[in-house]
Amino acid sequence: MAETAGSSVKARSKQALQDDFLRKAVKFTTERLKNGKRKATEEHGNWEEWRERGRQIRLHTIAHLDYYLNLFADNARKAGAQVYFARDAAEAAVITREIVREKQARSVVKSKSMVTEELHINHVLEEMDVAAIETDLGEYIIQLAHEPPSHIIIPAIHKNKQQIAEVLSEVAGERLEPDTQVLAGFVRRKLREQFLAAEIGMTGCNFAIAETGSIVIFENEGNARMCSTLPKTQITFMGMERIIPSFEDLEVMATLLPRSATGQKLTAYMSAITGPRRTADGDGPEELHIIIIDNGRSRQLGDPDFQELLNCIRCGACLNVCPVYRHIGGHSYGSVYSGPIGAVLTPALMEDPSEWQDIAYASSLCGACWEACPVKIPLHDMLVYLRNRKVESGTTPTAEQVMFKGFNYMMSDHRRMERFLRLGKVGQKFVARDGYIRIKGPLKGWTNYRDLPEIPKQSFRDRWKELQVEIAQQPRPKTMIQDIEQRMRKVLEERSKGGGSGGGHQE
Amino acid sequence: MYPRVGEAMVRILARYGVQLDFPKVQTCCGQPAFNSGYWDDARASARTLLEAFDDSDFVIAPSGSCTGMIHHYYPKLFENDPAMLDKAVRLKEKTYEFSQFLVNVLGVEDVGATFPHKVTYHPSCHGTRLLGIKDEPMKLLQHVRGLELVPLPDAELCCGFGGTFAVKMSDISGAMVSEKVHNVESTGAEVLVGIDMGCLMNISGNIHAEGKPIRVMHLAELLNEGVSS
Amino acid sequence: MADTRNKQGSGKARAIYASKERQDEWMQAIADRLGRPRITEMPQHPFRGAPDFWRAYDLQQEERINLFMNNWTNLGGHAFRMSSMEEVGRFLLDFVRETGAQKLLMQRQPELMGLGLAEALHDVECTVWDSSAEEMIDEAAQADIGVVVVDHAAAYTGTIVVLSSPDKGRSTSLLPRALVAVVPASAIEASLGPILKGLDARPKDQLPAGVHFITGPSRSSDIENDLTIGVHGPGIVYALVVG
Ligand code: SF4
Repeated sequence: MAETAGSSVKARSKQALQDDFLRKAVKFTTERLKNGKRKATEEHGNWEEWRERGRQIRLHTIAHLDYYLNLFADNARKAGAQVYFARDAAEAAVITREIVREKQARSVVKSKSMVTEELHINHVLEEMDVAAIETDLGEYIIQLAHEPPSHIIIPAIHKNKQQIAEVLSEVAGERLEPDTQVLAGFVRRKLREQFLAAEIGMTGCNFAIAETGSIVIFENEGNARMCSTLPKTQITFMGMERIIPSFEDLEVMATLLPRSATGQKLTAYMSAITGPRRTADGDGPEELHIIIIDNGRSRQLGDPDFQELLNCIRCGACLNVCPVYRHIGGHSYGSVYSGPIGAVLTPALMEDPSEWQDIAYASSLCGACWEACPVKIPLHDMLVYLRNRKVESGTTPTAEQVMFKGFNYMMSDHRRMERFLRLGKVGQKFVARDGYIRIKGPLKGWTNYRDLPEIPKQSFRDRWKELQVEIAQQPRPKTMIQDIEQRMRKVLEERSKGGGSGGGHQE
Repeated sequence: MYPRVGEAMVRILARYGVQLDFPKVQTCCGQPAFNSGYWDDARASARTLLEAFDDSDFVIAPSGSCTGMIHHYYPKLFENDPAMLDKAVRLKEKTYEFSQFLVNVLGVEDVGATFPHKVTYHPSCHGTRLLGIKDEPMKLLQHVRGLELVPLPDAELCCGFGGTFAVKMSDISGAMVSEKVHNVESTGAEVLVGIDMGCLMNISGNIHAEGKPIRVMHLAELLNEGVSS
Repeated sequence: MADTRNKQGSGKARAIYASKERQDEWMQAIADRLGRPRITEMPQHPFRGAPDFWRAYDLQQEERINLFMNNWTNLGGHAFRMSSMEEVGRFLLDFVRETGAQKLLMQRQPELMGLGLAEALHDVECTVWDSSAEEMIDEAAQADIGVVVVDHAAAYTGTIVVLSSPDKGRSTSLLPRALVAVVPASAIEASLGPILKGLDARPKDQLPAGVHFITGPSRSSDIENDLTIGVHGPGIVYALVVG
């Protein structure tokens, strides 16, 4: 994977924020995807019920993953597939290398798969001097540009037509006009040769059907169909959590995934592949290898805070609504998975919290991702849990630890807090101007973009006594207005019966 | 801004004979520490708050975010402490954000205010998403005489506050608040009104730094000003 | 079934990853993580499939046909209603002549074989899918038009479904620039549900290797979110609803 500048999200995002085109392009595309989704879900109707159903199916499958994964493997084998279980990238590489060598493959065509990105399979192939050709239009473009994907669904979201034309012209050996039809037409011709020549096709897998041993792939271009139809050997990589029990359950996923990802009712192609070609068939791969990947996923199992992460259907809806992603794009996250799902998944896949730097802090916790997620994963909560684990592992900066200790000391007792406020006011006289403070120092980041409100000369606490007197003098009802009092009593009554939920939403 | 908002809330509610008490030991809900992962520190703040409000019937806060913290996270914070968990659940049941309390408990939508200005409303993330506040502030604003309510483009986008996020990821947060202020400006509103102190402090800080002539007000302040004038 | 069965990684380094022992180890590890004994009996699955209100979704046949055709057209495809296979034959002749197509590939389906296209089109190469022939893929790659009779269709999403078999190549609906799909009116379901349930109900060894759900032309929005049609699969897609 190509490196992006800077070692932290903070550093990388700073760079991204200065790239005006990038910001506009990301905003433009995510905005359209977001609106497309909104329209599609409204048109379809009952969206909340579909979401809940999708969530339940995923929860059920993951809670019984040993049963369903086992069933899938058995059935896929019965259908003639060869099934492997790979703990990590290294094991997946061993399997891949051996198959590639055995087939004496010189080129491999690949359809979009985040798992192969995660495992750096292209790198494995390059080392063997085997051409790994990405065939999804967006993936092809960024592969030529030597860049990692910056969006789960639209990998080249950060590139404009002009840049794409330059990259493709180099391959074409002639100048291609920056026109979508021209560029796509060139890629069609170019890749068609590759599809027909490649010995191996590699694909990802959106869902795997336990009861039949089928793998299901959603796509729009037809390149995944090419990869799973033309080469003699097919290798499919799937995360161990991709399972659903039945085709019936697929109807729910097929309702949620395309609508959430692009606002489509269904992607142009949804392919269910069960085993290699039947002996008498005229096309389709002669061998189908399915490599099931753990690579940190099983760590989420049995962890009440994170198990739901395995429900993710990789639709990208959370990226498209994320106000942070909108401004910094995918590369700033410095990981294969970007946006809110990336901010949670990347650290969650790691063994210990000290391994990740600041990716889980790249969120204002606004909850837009949770609201958009078709399977209702509470990503904003998980971000806080991750931060908590980092604190508990003792790997947060000392200055920060001290700050919160101080905060705690101050907040846990109002007398100290009051004293702090008064002290603040004394020192403040020197820097305050018209009610706002400008300071340098630890809060500098804040004051780069805004002024800090001055700590009020008189706190609410101080004001309270005066206010009581003032209000007592104001004309006002001596006692509570009757119907208001009644309403309040009613609420209290309901609460005592256990029906109260306060001002919150019903969970 | 804070004392003014607190005062405005007290004054509005006093009009209906609702007597507010301000417990001496009240502190902060602990959200900044909680969100940054410092749960022990957050728990200490939360404990003080739980004790302070244990014997009240209703707790009303001027921030969807603090209310959201109490509703959404206090039970999690004390999941291994049955005695405190009990208190946390009780507090959750009686804690309201100001507009919810006014509309849903008191049944008041028209406080009798007049405010002849062009106003736009920023729905805070935690208010809408964690607490499910949707129409309450709108209902209150729609009943204010003379007030022209203009829709805020991309209203649901976060303003970039996120507590310590604004400090930790200051550049990203800065880009977010700039976009928010740009959207506010595009409405031509004289006043931006909101229900969350954090967001309002953030947005007004940017507006102030940029020297823009937009007033930022908490809903309680606006209503109070509208009934006093 | 496939002849690759039981050849599973024998004598190869990767065999350990494909072994039954490894599989069992994994399943046990999952059970351990979930903090309970391994589950080997089919669990109760109360949420199987679509919500109840959706199961009740149905349409009259005419409504299905109209909705299917509307959706197909909105996706950028072309849809025509025809009364008989003869009409389909005439359409194909006209289509070939007007587009100047040089090569046409058909699935080995009786409905298509009966059209007598090969006889009617002397100057056009007319190939029928033949799984015993070598190089069927090359044939498909050279074809301008692929013709299939679909196995199912779903009105609600505007989807056709084709199942692979020795007589029905997967390439026919994929490699040619244009796809002509003959859709028997009776094959159109209201939604995907019944089709998917049908797949569940098949005896396991009778599931075809490839079940392809096709919803409009091949498309991509990868370049500046600008929609382009026909990027890898067919960009010109016709649905001829018969009956
Ligand atoms: S977390 Fe939810 S919204 Fe984000 S990619 Fe996964 S399923 Fe989609």
